[in-house]
Amino acid sequence: MTVRTIAVGYDGSIGAQLAARFAFDLANQLGANIVLVHAIGLLGRTDEIEIVRDLEETAVVMAGEAGIDPGHARWHVSQGDPCSALLRAGNPPLSADLLVVGSRGHRNDAGLPLGSTSHELAERATVPLVIVPSTRAD
Amino acid sequence: MLIVGGPVPSPEHHRVGHPERPGRVEAAMAGIDDLHLDEDVEVVPGQAAPLDRLALVHPPAFLQELAAFCGAGGGDLDPDTYSTPQSFEAARRVVGAGLAAIDRLKVLQAGVAFVAARPPGHHALADRAMGFCLLNAVAVGAASLVAEGERVLIVDWDVHHGNGTQAIFWNDPSVLYVSTHQWPLYPGTGAAREIGGADALELTVNVPLGPGATGDALRRGIDELAGPAVDAFGPTWVLVSAGFDAHRDDPLADFALSSGDFAELAKTVQGFVPRPGRLALFLEGGYDLLAVRGSVAATLGELLGAPYDAEDPTSDDRSGAMVERARAERVRAIRSAEELEREGPG
Ligand SMILES: [Zn+2]
Repeated sequence: MTVRTIAVGYDGSIGAQLAARFAFDLANQLGANIVLVHAIGLLGRTDEIEIVRDLEETAVVMAGEAGIDPGHARWHVSQGDPCSALLRAGNPPLSADLLVVGSRGHRNDAGLPLGSTSHELAERATVPLVIVPSTRAD
Repeated sequence: MLIVGGPVPSPEHHRVGHPERPGRVEAAMAGIDDLHLDEDVEVVPGQAAPLDRLALVHPPAFLQELAAFCGAGGGDLDPDTYSTPQSFEAARRVVGAGLAAIDRLKVLQAGVAFVAARPPGHHALADRAMGFCLLNAVAVGAASLVAEGERVLIVDWDVHHGNGTQAIFWNDPSVLYVSTHQWPLYPGTGAAREIGGADALELTVNVPLGPGATGDALRRGIDELAGPAVDAFGPTWVLVSAGFDAHRDDPLADFALSSGDFAELAKTVQGFVPRPGRLALFLEGGYDLLAVRGSVAATLGELLGAPYDAEDPTSDDRSGAMVERARAERVRAIRSAEELEREGPG
């Protein structure tokens, strides 16, 4: 298969940063485009625009540092929970061929799959998924 | 006669600072008190819904998982959705209150039911809690009626699209799902081109409307887009996902409705009810307590013919264009579905 577009979930967390760095490296090796997907949840409001803009700026800087051509990386804000937003990235118009997420959800005490974006995605993704582990468990 | 399912304020399902809070049910009950219905109101407290009724919508494996997750202490189910050790039982009682209210209507064959309960349900998928919702009470109510051979119309006027309810009945020819909602907004579903699965084409009616939408836009959307679908479908029951977060004072969204608009919406929906005793409303969202109180009073006052105070209904010049955009997109989707059907499998 040819990987043309890699979608990576990005909420600014350490886990998301690790996932983004992995996705940037992979994109460089494969010559693929990057879409950074940021989900705005039910508690998120349109007045969060500033926070989202800050996130976008740091993500774009990270991409530049990783050697990604600015024309090959884009920022995409999606309404919904992180899992649904990333699942949709596999469909048109984004049509990502590969999804990348950090393993650390917002819930740390694993054991049950509920409440973890990476677990939910692993169960539901219709395109290949990479789960990037945090450097060490704690 | 007003049948109140609950009230189920679920103080044990609570997180400090979260807008989905027990006071919402208290506000709804205050709205009912404002109507001074006296002996014209009957309260049917909800017991925890039996697992076999829940299983009409939610797979047993999911129910076990959710019960175990809560039992182990609870926690975040997604970035919006919290749970506590008692949340599973609280959500079961919400569903139970809905079922009890519907059962009471069946006996009376008269009146209107309002389920004053939380947590809400319309974002909950069959196998996933999300968007403040753990179990989908309106869906279990509808599925129970369908199991008895009924045809159920669900009108969802919460400001958010009821992605869970839509998905659950996507391909079910016995349920017509109609939603008005802000677009774009959480949960990101509910485009007008989403019209239902192969076995239920045109039985999903989405009316996405831009920020600032006023009451006339929602009314016209329901009238003009859903009206013909309702006539063709012929519901025997009508359930309403009655969120009040489309009110202009709500902190989570940007619609511009007044309490009086909910009375107008209620009147429109009442026109779809085939006979007395076949209308039940379920509280969904609504996060400004005064707006919830006033809007509940206006909605139920209108339905019961009881006097109520309400803010003036709202309208805007842009409403016609907003509704027309949704209608055109729906018509296009129906045409291409028909073309696909004509082409056949090969
Ligand atoms: Zn809502």
